[in-house]
Amino acid sequence: MENELKIDPILIEEFLKFNKNLIEAPKMVPAIDEINLEMTPYDVAYSEDKVRLLHFNSSIQKQHKTPLVIVYALVNRYHILDIHPQKSWIKNLLNQGFDVYLIDWGSPTNIDKYQGFDDYVNGYIDNCIDFVCDEADVEKVTLQGYCTGGTLATVYSALHPDKVKNLVVTAPVIDGKKDTTVVGNLAKHMDVDEMVKAIGNMPPEFMYYIFSILKPFEQGVEKYIHFFKNIHDKNYVDNFLRVEKWLHDTPSIPGELFRQWIKDVYQENLLIQDKMYVGNQLVSLKNITMPIFIQVAVGDHLVSPECSMPLYYAVGTEDKTMRIYPTGHVGMIASSFSQKKVLTELGQWLSERSK
Amino acid sequence: MISMESGAEFKNKIDPKEAADYFKHLSLFWTDMAYLISSKPSALILAGPMRKFSLQTKKLATEMIEANEDLIEFNTKLSEYYKQLSDTWTESQKRFNVKIPEIPNDVEHIESSKRVWIDIFENAFTQLFDSEKFGENFGKLISSEVELSKHWNNMLAVLLESVNVPTKDDLNEVYKELHSLRKRVSKLEKNERKSGVIHNGK
Repeated sequence: MENELKIDPILIEEFLKFNKNLIEAPKMVPAIDEINLEMTPYDVAYSEDKVRLLHFNSSIQKQHKTPLVIVYALVNRYHILDIHPQKSWIKNLLNQGFDVYLIDWGSPTNIDKYQGFDDYVNGYIDNCIDFVCDEADVEKVTLQGYCTGGTLATVYSALHPDKVKNLVVTAPVIDGKKDTTVVGNLAKHMDVDEMVKAIGNMPPEFMYYIFSILKPFEQGVEKYIHFFKNIHDKNYVDNFLRVEKWLHDTPSIPGELFRQWIKDVYQENLLIQDKMYVGNQLVSLKNITMPIFIQVAVGDHLVSPECSMPLYYAVGTEDKTMRIYPTGHVGMIASSFSQKKVLTELGQWLSERSK
Repeated sequence: MISMESGAEFKNKIDPKEAADYFKHLSLFWTDMAYLISSKPSALILAGPMRKFSLQTKKLATEMIEANEDLIEFNTKLSEYYKQLSDTWTESQKRFNVKIPEIPNDVEHIESSKRVWIDIFENAFTQLFDSEKFGENFGKLISSEVELSKHWNNMLAVLLESVNVPTKDDLNEVYKELHSLRKRVSKLEKNERKSGVIHNGK
């Protein structure tokens, strides 16, 4: 019986253990709906349509006069910036003495399908910033944008430089032609005019599809095997479910905004060439004359570094800093690494410029 | 006398495009005829929504025929989409078999084989999704799906119009108007705030 297959008994044991975990999982793990993602307490300082300006409460004395307004991305909800007490971007900044506001876009519905860049930039963001300036009694704020929020913050700063003291952009989508990710490739081949005309807002299902084909095996297979192997580790499970809940909470994107986004930023690549128009105004990146801090992740599979980095060379300011981190798109904002490195560097840079 | 041809010969002689055009023409011809013949007497007995519906049946038939044409295009692109996925899967599995020819039988070996499997598949599929051929086919697949949904919308509009219920276009008009009103109100509020600030001497 030379060809008989010999199986390691430990392997059988592991297999049985994994099966036991599968059966026990529902008893040990809360359902996604039972998880509350609201971490740091906040007040809704201002609201307009479905947009809310959140003002986070802090027990620490404010140490910097200039308030920080975070423009969240258009994909998923803002909770990733406050996902876990030990990994919260917002909590870290509050602990560093910053006064933190965040723009939550809410969940657009059909009534919002004609909202475009102009409504978001010259409408919502501008109104939120006016409100913060009034409330904090300052002339200018520090503006930070993450991912597609980075693009909105960049466009805003180019159109309203008088209201922005510092600009911080984290993985912004800037040079669509140089984007080497799957998202960039698919965006370049869409007939977005017809799509928006027929569908209206970009539905969450479409966004899920785009994300499901990014790292399909690591994110679609291995991640879940790992989860079931570790269901006895409370911290791991808690963290895993929080991120999963965030990942699956994808609101629609207003049709007109999506159309302009794909056409102007990805297909025609107008933003980096200073040829993009928002509300009849030409967006010139040379108008960004305030200090700028650009954060890029080498392993970013959603916005490739090549897509964000050209901003450094396009802006008009001399006070510019770019940091390239050995992490990914989410790792840059919600990880132990971001707490230790990314936020520490950002805090230092900001505190020198927030007096 | 009708010549007896084999099925294959007959099939070779028919161009699918010509056949589709022929059936389209045939269907439109009879819908037109039915409308012409029946419209006068039907005008006498039909009133209200049903008359509207009977007038629009031609529109429905046209949409149905055109939707079928687009369905063919959609199926072609969908087949290509699955072909690309299955070719990549087969190729990746072949590569994996070359790299790990034996069946793993201990924990360490299983773990390393899993890692290799994920790496090979991840790379191959990311390469596919990044490729021009995938992007192009995917774009066309979405476009054909959009075309189908347009036909569906148009057919639905005919039905809704016949019972005097607002169609998608009617709602879009309302949304557009609301959007422009919201914008105007926001602008007015902003101007008022600004003038208020000036009045307050700030």
